[in-house]
Amino acid sequence: MGSKTTYIGAVEIGTAKVVALVGEYTGREIVIIGCGECSSRGVIKGSVVDYRAATECTHNALEIAERDASERISQVFLAQTGGHLEGFYNEATLNVKAADNMIEKDDIRTVCDLAKAKDLPLGRMVVHNIRRPFRVDGRLVPTSPENLVGQKLEVGYWTVHGQEQRLADNIHVIRGFNLEVSELVLSSLASGHMVTSMEERQNGVLAIDIGAGTTDFVLYRNGVPHTTGVVAVGGGHFTNDISIGLRLTEGQAEKLKLRFGRAVVQARDKNDKVWLDGNYSIGDRQFSRQAIENITAARAWELLEVVKRKLGNAFAPEACAGGVVLTGGAAKLPALAVCAAKVFGAPARLGEAPSWVNEDLRDPGYHTALGILYYGVSAQGDRAAVARSRGGFLHNVTRLFAST
Amino acid sequence: MSKDTLILPETRTWRDIPQQVRPRAMSREGRRRLTMGAIRATVGVVVLGSVAWGAWETAEMLRESPSGMPDAARSDRVRSLVLVTDGVLDKGWLVRTLALPGDATLMGLDLIKLRSRVLGDAQVASAAVIRNFPDTLTVRISERSPVARLMAQAGGDSPRMLLVSRDGVAFEGTGFDRAMVDSLPWVDGVRLVRSGASIAPIEGMTAVADLLASAKLEAENLYRTWQVISLARLASDGEIEVHTRQGMKVVFGANKDYLRQIARLDLLIDASSDPTRPLIEVNLALGAQVPVSYGTAAPMLGGPAAGPPAAAPARPTFTLPVFSNLQTEAHRGL
Repeated sequence: MGSKTTYIGAVEIGTAKVVALVGEYTGREIVIIGCGECSSRGVIKGSVVDYRAATECTHNALEIAERDASERISQVFLAQTGGHLEGFYNEATLNVKAADNMIEKDDIRTVCDLAKAKDLPLGRMVVHNIRRPFRVDGRLVPTSPENLVGQKLEVGYWTVHGQEQRLADNIHVIRGFNLEVSELVLSSLASGHMVTSMEERQNGVLAIDIGAGTTDFVLYRNGVPHTTGVVAVGGGHFTNDISIGLRLTEGQAEKLKLRFGRAVVQARDKNDKVWLDGNYSIGDRQFSRQAIENITAARAWELLEVVKRKLGNAFAPEACAGGVVLTGGAAKLPALAVCAAKVFGAPARLGEAPSWVNEDLRDPGYHTALGILYYGVSAQGDRAAVARSRGGFLHNVTRLFAST
Repeated sequence: MSKDTLILPETRTWRDIPQQVRPRAMSREGRRRLTMGAIRATVGVVVLGSVAWGAWETAEMLRESPSGMPDAARSDRVRSLVLVTDGVLDKGWLVRTLALPGDATLMGLDLIKLRSRVLGDAQVASAAVIRNFPDTLTVRISERSPVARLMAQAGGDSPRMLLVSRDGVAFEGTGFDRAMVDSLPWVDGVRLVRSGASIAPIEGMTAVADLLASAKLEAENLYRTWQVISLARLASDGEIEVHTRQGMKVVFGANKDYLRQIARLDLLIDASSDPTRPLIEVNLALGAQVPVSYGTAAPMLGGPAAGPPAAAPARPTFTLPVFSNLQTEAHRGL
């Protein structure tokens, strides 16, 4: 990107709400100048199921954000989540070709291409290729191994891939507003980037973003994402359980969850009752506080257990000094951090946005949208740097003639 | 392992998803944005086109008829004339040449006509006439430098002296220092041809100019003695004849190594210091062989030997000195 000011929209099409932020990017820094929010419709567990409804609410959020910013968005960074997203690890090894064993750019490029080259099943597309640190003769190299001396160069990639139709649906929702999607950012990476510090990522930290329909997680090691994943369970399921267990409508269950739900049972007295509305009007009902807490606590424990199971051996408390950081709208459930600490056997806390973020955007529900902007801008910067290092136009011309 | 030998599977990424969407699939706001974008692009193209067309039309109008310009643009009178030159012409010459009317306005001037007036003086090689708003007319010229002079007579007019530049153009020569003009050799053996109102450039002057420049630079003592340069045999034999003030004729080969020829001449003159046998002709156009003619000195008037009648005209003796080692000496000397 050049020094020209661009207006970037960060859009998160969530199950409960759609958030759109407008960032003014000058090439050096990004300033958030507009925000739009709209209740989500036509989206279940992060996937668009009703194109018209999803388009309507997303465009509504975009319009509000543009009006708030008084500027027109020129490109969009879009958050991507959903149960269809999966990841795998693939690594490659290369014998350094130079006689003096000095690693050259060509070696690095070749080993990276080898590690990324893996056939995907039909209908699957790569969303992210996340590189883990290089190893030179088994020695960890956090930055570029260029000009280091060694015989064997290794690198691994965590590749996240998703179903083509689902990805295309999300993109088409934005294209319906006549805007181009220039970056697709995994929700877990976006929110994880916002709520963890560089030091925590270096020492190992697990960030869990609990949304309404899905739970995204990312485990950082050595400063880079090590494993990511999505569980198709979110805060909406807590509400659903209360609704079924206490025979309530979704709206009533949501109200009870927000007012009395806890991730760890605190109420000891079964006779401790709470009112549904609290206005003692006709139809207002009483419920056991312990029953509500039991339902939400059981669901929270189960959700975190699923995340732990999905991480498998990748997560080890001793290799995760930063502990567990919780974010997302459903992470506001009281005592969720206590629950997470018990499940993972590591310190846990509720994630907070950095101090420079405006007070209005500090709610955990905005962390993903904020992260999209910052992660997307840095990803574009990295890509531009790679393009420059590959020689730009001249390199492309050379390749063109080489391939004919 | 070289990457050239690898055949890696083509992995499809989300960027391969086509982002074209039909307007039908767009929302109302999306269609409005699409329409506005198209309108903006169209307006941009129209504005750019209009500006380009307007600029072209204006340029054409100025080129064809400066008088067609609005009165406001013609209102400023020319108050100052500036001459920028690399030669000797002065502002007085410029005023005389342009002959601008007293009430001439800057925008009312026909620059093309003024430029042709300036170029009408053959002393000017190139010229540019520039309007400097609000009221200054600047004329930038590049002048010809004279390398020789000639006498020309047209019809029954009295003969007049013209200067000749390196490119063969003959011109009156305004503003040059008299002493400098007197030091220039005369050109002879050329036929002047009229070309319109002026004289056509003289053929072969470039070769003469090179010879004169070499002589002036390397042997100025010889150059000062050169009185007439004849181009009579230049076209036919490729020879330039130089007649000195002492009556000696030197023949140079045109477009050859002038430096060597001048060095030989200088050596010969130094070697022939006998006043009783003056050099009367030297031919340097034959390469290594240099035919030289000697004459006999005229008796001194009023001297002891004045009694007897003058000797018969000097009969040139003809020798062919060999310059095998002269070349070396000449090079050392230079």
